Amino acid sequence: MRIIVHKDKCQGHARCWALAPDVFKLDDEGYILPGDVEVAERDELLASRGARSCPERALEIDCTADALLARLLFNQACGGFK
Amino acid sequence: MALKPVPDHVPPEMVRDFSLFTSPGMQRMPNGDPHAAVARVHGGPPIFYSPDNTRDSRGTWVITRAKDQRRVLQDSESFSSHRSIFASALGENWPMIPLELDPPAHGVFRSLLNPLFSPKRVMALEPAIRQRAMALIDRICASRTSCDVMSDFAFPFAVNIFLRFLGLSDERLDTYVGWGKDLLHGDSVKRTAAALAIVAFIDELAAMRRKEPTDDVMTFVVETEVDGRRLTDEEVRGIGVLVFVAGLDTVATAIGFDLAHLARNPNDQALLRGEPDRIVPAVEELLRAYSTVQIIRVARKNIDFEGAPIRKGDYISCATMIANRDPAEFECPNTIDLAREDNRHTAFAYGPHRCLGSHLARREIVIGLEEWLSRIPDFRIKEGTAPITFGGHVFGIENLILDWS
Repeated sequence: MRIIVHKDKCQGHARCWALAPDVFKLDDEGYILPGDVEVAERDELLASRGARSCPERALEIDCTADALLARLLFNQACGGFK
Repeated sequence: MALKPVPDHVPPEMVRDFSLFTSPGMQRMPNGDPHAAVARVHGGPPIFYSPDNTRDSRGTWVITRAKDQRRVLQDSESFSSHRSIFASALGENWPMIPLELDPPAHGVFRSLLNPLFSPKRVMALEPAIRQRAMALIDRICASRTSCDVMSDFAFPFAVNIFLRFLGLSDERLDTYVGWGKDLLHGDSVKRTAAALAIVAFIDELAAMRRKEPTDDVMTFVVETEVDGRRLTDEEVRGIGVLVFVAGLDTVATAIGFDLAHLARNPNDQALLRGEPDRIVPAVEELLRAYSTVQIIRVARKNIDFEGAPIRKGDYISCATMIANRDPAEFECPNTIDLAREDNRHTAFAYGPHRCLGSHLARREIVIGLEEWLSRIPDFRIKEGTAPITFGGHVFGIENLILDWS
């Protein structure tokens, strides 16, 4: 999964970091580092929660990847994910 | 009530008899719920004109939807934050910095101060914050089964932490809190007197730190440089006043509203007491439901905004307590759900002026509730007493007497 970072919209709320500190890295001022974030599979749930927590809408879950995540969660819910 | 006159460019059908100061539920009253009262505006249009909506009875446009507030607060080219809200009490017009500067000047000062208030910096303060909360609460429950939360805990907790953060002793804590109350909630005479006292205090502090530097925030401000130069006296004062005033009221008030909620909602209280891990997300929900600040912007140009003919110089109100009850943004906004997900509230504003102290405020509130719940047994509003709430441009609560006998 990939998260598109709109760095210009980040205002340092740091909600993403609070929810997923291993995924979202902040600079010394407390704002997100530039560059999109590639998320390891094991961090996808936390990362999407972190992205959805941004009050400024600075984090965008890559839509194609989002569809993949939905399928993964569906499979998990159906017990197909071991 | 007769409406005040409105400017000619405001269409009469866009005027509403609403005010954060005078509408029903905004007055100082026992057992009030000013947040529920303002939430009623969501039954009306997304933007309207309120003829009397500031302390000095100015008219403002009122933006009710979170989405539209985001657009206003993120667009500092169209909407300025400079309105000398503090200096006007002295008949002056210098900006509090960085709050009342617009980009790009804003960014220079904001970058200077951001590292002092970053989430990582706040983490380092955690033990001191917790120790202060524990000491105060232990002292309360050693001898009593009842207390006034605001004067016995919320203010001496939040303001002490804040003063230490600034490098100030808390010997004069009550004086400072008094200045803050007069400034935010007092009449114009009290407000001017408080503003004078605060300016004199900040100027004196800056002079002391210039002469004898220590390792506190004010020393940083007088010694730091922007664009290769030291800050001017007016800039030092603008920063000092803002940073000082910002910590005197809001965190304590948030703790007051939060503990009042938990006192009245025993299920929520039991949930957090039993599962302290839930306190962190619960505090976000309480920040949403009981946010306290009205943000105002000034139009820098004529702009047609969602059907409203905003003209250069018009005031635009983005009240956090209104956007945070927007049904288009929050499902069942008037239900306080301590496990609410995707809680992108605006208690600390949107845009470049996002509350600089938000990370410190969050930790103080979380730690305050954690320590309160772990030390004080089931508590309720003391029988025969009633907390007093009030609206205005900063909402507040007083006389919160809790009882756990």
